Amino acid sequence: MRSNAMKKEKDFDINNCYTISGKLALPYTYFAGRTGSTFITHIRDNKKIMGVRCNHCNKVFIPPRQTCEKCLSMISDNWVELENQGEILNYTVVRYDDNHLPRKAPFILAMIKLGKADTPVIHIVEGISINDVKEGLKVKAVFAEKTTNTILDIDHFEPV
Amino acid sequence: MTKYFGVAIDDIFNSMAERFRPEGAADVDVKVGYDIREFGKRKLVISNRKMSLEKTDDLSDCNAVIKTDERTFVGVTVGKIETMEAIIALKFRVKGDQGVLALLPRLFLKLSTQEKDVKQEQELLVLKKVISVKQKFATGPVMGKFLKGLKEEKVLAIKCPECGRLQSPPREVCAICRVKNTEWVEVGPEGELRMLEYCYYASPDPLTGETRETPYGAIGVLLDKCKDEEVFWHLLNPAHLDRVKMGIVLGEKVIKGTRLRPVWSENRTGSINDIKYFEIAE
Repeated sequence: MRSNAMKKEKDFDINNCYTISGKLALPYTYFAGRTGSTFITHIRDNKKIMGVRCNHCNKVFIPPRQTCEKCLSMISDNWVELENQGEILNYTVVRYDDNHLPRKAPFILAMIKLGKADTPVIHIVEGISINDVKEGLKVKAVFAEKTTNTILDIDHFEPV
Repeated sequence: MTKYFGVAIDDIFNSMAERFRPEGAADVDVKVGYDIREFGKRKLVISNRKMSLEKTDDLSDCNAVIKTDERTFVGVTVGKIETMEAIIALKFRVKGDQGVLALLPRLFLKLSTQEKDVKQEQELLVLKKVISVKQKFATGPVMGKFLKGLKEEKVLAIKCPECGRLQSPPREVCAICRVKNTEWVEVGPEGELRMLEYCYYASPDPLTGETRETPYGAIGVLLDKCKDEEVFWHLLNPAHLDRVKMGIVLGEKVIKGTRLRPVWSENRTGSINDIKYFEIAE
């Protein structure tokens, strides 16, 4: 079997093998929706992080959503202001570079549970070495100076 | 009086004087005619930062005449109908200076409708982005040989040893006879147009990432030495899109297609874009 494969490889003329570089452009339109837009504009204009509460399940969700994921009732009008501080539930270190990533590697992405919220939000943590970050670390939001109309209007979180 | 979108057409003309913005009308000297079906004609004269509106049948000295019907006119004025959509649907026409369309919003404040006064619109966020993904295509030995041929201004086809059919771009194996193709034949580079597809979808070119201008012609060219279905797919010079004819063979009836020749790129790198497109040969 092996010798057969080697023989085939010999017949294989690699003189004409090469690669052609391509580039694929992917134009897209992202619509944040009513609830998502309110969330981002509150961060941008008021420096406030908002969640939504399900009065039935007594849970506060962030990022905000239109319906409660547990009882499916409409909750998009029950806005609650959250604290700008929270603790790291879990984290990962991104160790590769790519165009779509918000920072140069290595950087920390953490699940942060903000005060008054029941669900975590994922964001960048800076101001601490990747070796020192740990679960339970208290962090606070640092707002971006320039708006991009995205979740990156919170620039990053840093240790309190 | 019929109301459209909660607004009567008279409300629009009667409120023009109070909605007029003299500061927007600096250096504007224009006569605009309104020819509205089943309503009548009006002439708007703007000069020296002043406006006047008169009911007249003579619109001959106007710089531009807007011709439309009542419903469309009201819809466009209150923003319920897109002007471009109405123009495309041939319900809204401007004869003369098209520039007045851009000018009018500057001259008048918007007519406020009741609906807008009550409800403040929420700011909705929309992001438009273009991601660029780099990629590499491996040619393999067969396609590589074909593409290297293009670099030397040659179109190569590969021949099936059993059925003898030519394939370009080449395949390693003849999928009908299931045997390995071996023999190479130079074909074309001129040929006859056999298939033309008008493409209106602005598909991105996977080699450059650029979106193609539409409409473009995707064509099947029967290169010289090829026969039957052995067409070569490429693009047509967009300027020749409406000047070519497809050839076809229907039993004994033969219709000759337009003769085409390839236009080679100046910097050929061994890719399918080494042929820019095909164009009329005669």
